[in-house]
Amino acid sequence: MPMNKPTSCKRNIKFQQNFLSALIGVVVTLGGCATTEVAEQQHIAEKADPYENLNRKVYKFNDTVDNYVAEPISDAYKWITPQFMQTGVFNFFNNLKTINVVINDVLQAKFHQSAEDAGRFALNTTLGLGGFLDVGKNVGLEQNEEDFEQTLAVWGVPQGSYLVIPFLGPTTVRGIPGTVFDTAANPTSYVGLPVQLVYMLNARASAEGALKFIDEAALDPYVFTRESFLQWRNNLATDGKTETSLDLDVELDSDDDSTGKNNIPAADNKASRALDLYPETK
Amino acid sequence: MVLKNIRLAVLLIFCLFSVVNTFAQDSSGASARQVVEKFQNELIAVMKNGKQLGFSGRYEKLFDPVSNSHDLTKIARIVVGKESEKLSEAQQQKLVEVFSRFSVASYAHNFKDYSGESFVFDSEEETARGGVVIHSHLAIPGDKPVKFDYMLKEKGNSWRIINIIANGVSDLALKRSEYTTILQREGFDALIAKINEKIDNYSKL
Repeated sequence: MPMNKPTSCKRNIKFQQNFLSALIGVVVTLGGCATTEVAEQQHIAEKADPYENLNRKVYKFNDTVDNYVAEPISDAYKWITPQFMQTGVFNFFNNLKTINVVINDVLQAKFHQSAEDAGRFALNTTLGLGGFLDVGKNVGLEQNEEDFEQTLAVWGVPQGSYLVIPFLGPTTVRGIPGTVFDTAANPTSYVGLPVQLVYMLNARASAEGALKFIDEAALDPYVFTRESFLQWRNNLATDGKTETSLDLDVELDSDDDSTGKNNIPAADNKASRALDLYPETK
Repeated sequence: MVLKNIRLAVLLIFCLFSVVNTFAQDSSGASARQVVEKFQNELIAVMKNGKQLGFSGRYEKLFDPVSNSHDLTKIARIVVGKESEKLSEAQQQKLVEVFSRFSVASYAHNFKDYSGESFVFDSEEETARGGVVIHSHLAIPGDKPVKFDYMLKEKGNSWRIINIIANGVSDLALKRSEYTTILQREGFDALIAKINEKIDNYSKL
């Protein structure tokens, strides 16, 4: 059964490529006399999320499931479980995840970090009573966040399209083999259903703050979740090294009154001219 | 001889001018780091009195600090991207006004109480296009610190925040995706209605 997974992923990527080229074809045809620049422009805009319409439907479905099933159960769990138990359970599962972190540290050739994480795991498993106490944090060993999706990114595998999976939520094409590997490398996957249910409940309870923040701040929760997810994953994969490239300098200059139109970078200028030409060519 | 004197005098005037110039810069325009630190201190001060102040009190106290340290007009223009070309003058003004209230309201809602948090300066970096990035983090006792990177641009003779990147997530990029999507799918009035609804919710929470 697990043998089927990579094949289906490959098929998925191939399907996605076919779908994308079909999409570009449609865009060009619908555009009539539209220049290739316009098609390119739309292609870039749709590149990260070409299946937005379908993704939005799945997002809505997940949101409904969360509102009517996951949230009430999670609220009940939080109500009956004292805070120290919730923290303990979180620490326990988090400690088991460290095995996967160490594997991915090594796969990304971060050997120093892998030694730190292995030490953290040993410390929490022994002195931390099987992981319920996070002793590592108290002695200054901060947990590193690594997983197989990040490893694939380090190896140069492109991210692929943004996808929303029923019940599981946001991911990318690269995230699918990532999750399959991480699930296989997590001991929690091999224990009985009741333990996994506690794991899921606790994960939902810990995500409460983030979900509440999205509810309060987002004007379009779907776009808000997509953008923050993609940026967060990108930040993890590059270990925070891309932050200054996110400063949108190109947009800033093109929007700057004082610098005027002369300072608009060539690519941007070309794109805006193409958009201006579009109604005329119709 | 006379020529030499004139040259000396010119040199002297030049030196004097540059001294005055540096002095003027020092007294009027605060550096990017000073702008960020002043704002962070004002934020922490409001957090410390957050409970007594209530939402409206925090909003009142934060309105000037946010408006003076952020370039809200520019941010509002960037977040609607190319869609701004389709907006009328009145609509653009309305957007800046509503967006400014929303920005202050988000601060007033998200920084409502104090449990020993403090902002710590990490480093300063100049970007290729004449901007400055101030790297800092919010230290939270017993919790993981949150990275705050402020991107500033010069406006007149002072620096203004135009983007905040929290733990690698750019506020400007996030808002731009949201605002342009809503403008394209639902239009200007829907965007304004949604922002007003959020401000209203913040005031009740």
